[in-house]
Amino acid sequence: MTDPIKPDDLDPVIHERARLAIVSALAVAPEMSFNEIKETLGLSDGNLSAHATSLQRAGYIEIAKTFKGRRPHTSLRLTRAGQKAFQDYVETLRKIIKQGK
Amino acid sequence: MDHDEAQVRMQEIQRIMERATLWTILPGMSAIVGGVMVLAGCLVSCLMFRSIKSPHFAMIDFASLLELSLNAQIAFCVMWFLIGTGGIGAEIHFAQVQAKKQGIAPKGRSAKLAFYSLTPGVIIAMVLTVKFLVPAELRTHEIQYIAPVWMMLYGTGVYTAGLFSVRAPRILGMVFIAAGVVSIHFFQQYGVVTTGLSFGLFHIAFGLYVIGKRKAGLPR
Repeated sequence: MTDPIKPDDLDPVIHERARLAIVSALAVAPEMSFNEIKETLGLSDGNLSAHATSLQRAGYIEIAKTFKGRRPHTSLRLTRAGQKAFQDYVETLRKIIKQGK
Repeated sequence: MDHDEAQVRMQEIQRIMERATLWTILPGMSAIVGGVMVLAGCLVSCLMFRSIKSPHFAMIDFASLLELSLNAQIAFCVMWFLIGTGGIGAEIHFAQVQAKKQGIAPKGRSAKLAFYSLTPGVIIAMVLTVKFLVPAELRTHEIQYIAPVWMMLYGTGVYTAGLFSVRAPRILGMVFIAAGVVSIHFFQQYGVVTTGLSFGLFHIAFGLYVIGKRKAGLPR
């Protein structure tokens, strides 16, 4: 018999909707620019920036700031810790779905 | 979190992952349209070559082009050029329609990745085609290599584009590369058939697969 899921089992950093969306997009794309994520998820600059910073603080994503010509270019990438956290989160969701059946 | 909420979360994750990949804008219909155009081109090629009696496979050998009049050769090249540009045009048109349907910018990340992946292979194939077709004297073998070269280079582009997507385009790319390798070694004289099989039927099968899978849910 599997253990019941406790609220603590869900990573609070990823559990937030916008952050989950960012991590989900980065889970299938090796690297995405700030604008690409913004466009894909329909987030505002400020919103994306704030959530990306939270994910970076948690060690789940890396943010690289470079220049493309004269224009600043920000790209985001999922770290190993981020991949593991995302996989664990999805696994927990699967368990909850399975238990509810 | 209860069962229903977890299920909603999983669906959200699935939807976002789809949007972040090339799959979202892959238009099944353009593959079918392109495939049908190629089959029609192969049929017209056979009709153009049918008067040539020797060798016995002349009707399905692109090298039979050498036996046609200059006007017929030009018409043949123009026809295949139009099929190529028409196929690419259909791809762009349907991809834009698909992107709009999904609420994604038509010139967004996925479209750019597809463009960057396919372009080098297509440019090299075009350069080699011109090199094969415009020597001082046309040679049978060089004309016969055009179809397999296109298969391999197009397959490379599709495979590369598939690296940013789900597995299906990568498999299509590998199948094209394999078909090109086999045909350049063993079936180069049957170019019309191998072209119809690869650019025609493979595309139609892939288009049907994409349409079917999109209706069924997230592909793998």
